[in-house]
Amino acid sequence: MVENYAVLPCNGLDKCAGVISRELAIKLCENVKNEIICPVFYRVAEAKYNKIAGKRPLLVIDGCQTRCASKLAAEKSLKISRKVTITEEAKNHNIELRSNLRLLENENALIEIILNELNNDEDKVTLFSDETNVVYNFEYVTFQNGKFIFRVPKNPEVYYNENDCWAYVIGNRARIGVTDFVQQNLSDILYFTPPDIGAEIDQFGEVGEIESSKSLIDIISPVSGKVISINETLVQKPELINENPYELGWIAELELTDFEGDKELLIGFDKYFEIMKKKVEDLNG
Amino acid sequence: MDKKVKVVPCSGIGKVYGLMAREAVLKTVFELCPEKSETVCLAYIVTGDKEVKEKIEGCDCITVDGCPKMCASKNVSIAGGIVVEEMKVLDTVKEHKGQKFGSPTQLNTDGDSVISEIAEKIAKKINEIN
Repeated sequence: MVENYAVLPCNGLDKCAGVISRELAIKLCENVKNEIICPVFYRVAEAKYNKIAGKRPLLVIDGCQTRCASKLAAEKSLKISRKVTITEEAKNHNIELRSNLRLLENENALIEIILNELNNDEDKVTLFSDETNVVYNFEYVTFQNGKFIFRVPKNPEVYYNENDCWAYVIGNRARIGVTDFVQQNLSDILYFTPPDIGAEIDQFGEVGEIESSKSLIDIISPVSGKVISINETLVQKPELINENPYELGWIAELELTDFEGDKELLIGFDKYFEIMKKKVEDLNG
Repeated sequence: MDKKVKVVPCSGIGKVYGLMAREAVLKTVFELCPEKSETVCLAYIVTGDKEVKEKIEGCDCITVDGCPKMCASKNVSIAGGIVVEEMKVLDTVKEHKGQKFGSPTQLNTDGDSVISEIAEKIAKKINEIN
């Protein structure tokens, strides 16, 4: 369930998508602990909303590509935790929006779909810290070099940096870890030093260390945020990183502080897979 | 220059009077005076975007505000629109003492009736201008 967010819709008036953004925001704030921000009033009297916007994760809902709500968030230096663009969602779900401003069957159906998706994503977030309930559904692609097999998840929610670390992003949280490339190179991992809970980590900052008989490496966080959980099992069983660095071998969970900004410096599966293959080939001559 | 009168509600979200402003304007521009008026999105106007500024700059505008903050009137003026009439939902609401109009998300029958009244007032003003 989407809860405790500050919801900033574009509140558009002259396009159907804008009207949907408004309706979606209102529905998100009915009966649950979310707070709506009026984009017009926020510009003229920001004091009213600064407290809400500063304390809660921010969900921005833009109607169209003009992205008025996102622009407002940028103008006020707010960090966006989650973002929805109605026209993109309509396209993704093959729903044609009318030019009329009254919401009918299609538009209401789209609102329900987006609500469900947002809530489902949040439910995954709440499951993050309960290892027994985590459902990854990772779809792996493999690459073999000699006797070594490298797996990489190709799910769109998984982002990578060129330091061979991954971030599985759901809502305003991310679980992070290292890739198969790291664990294969280190060989048997003997020690894991976790980050401190509550530590504020910059993008590309250190978020713990892992050590094998061959080497010691810093784990470079793909995302910025606050450490809210660590994989304590790894302290006793660091070999889980060798067994499966993407699931049992995860390193830490972060509450994201600027994912929209971080994303610009991250890469997706396609690019990372190519980079990793090249690294493997270079290493093995 | 586009001669249609621009009718801009405060687009308020979170208060029933903001919703009434919005609904009254939609009723006016789509049902009562579709040939003579159009609305412009206030949330877009306040971004200061060049395209929307050009749309209202120097044009006759009627603003409809839900509360005394007067977001619509202030921001249309800042963007260069000529505010020929500042309407306040509360002025009409005061004539219906004791009535409830619904919630910030849904108007009731009394709410619908009052927005029709406000829409008639807006339409009258549009017809005077055009």
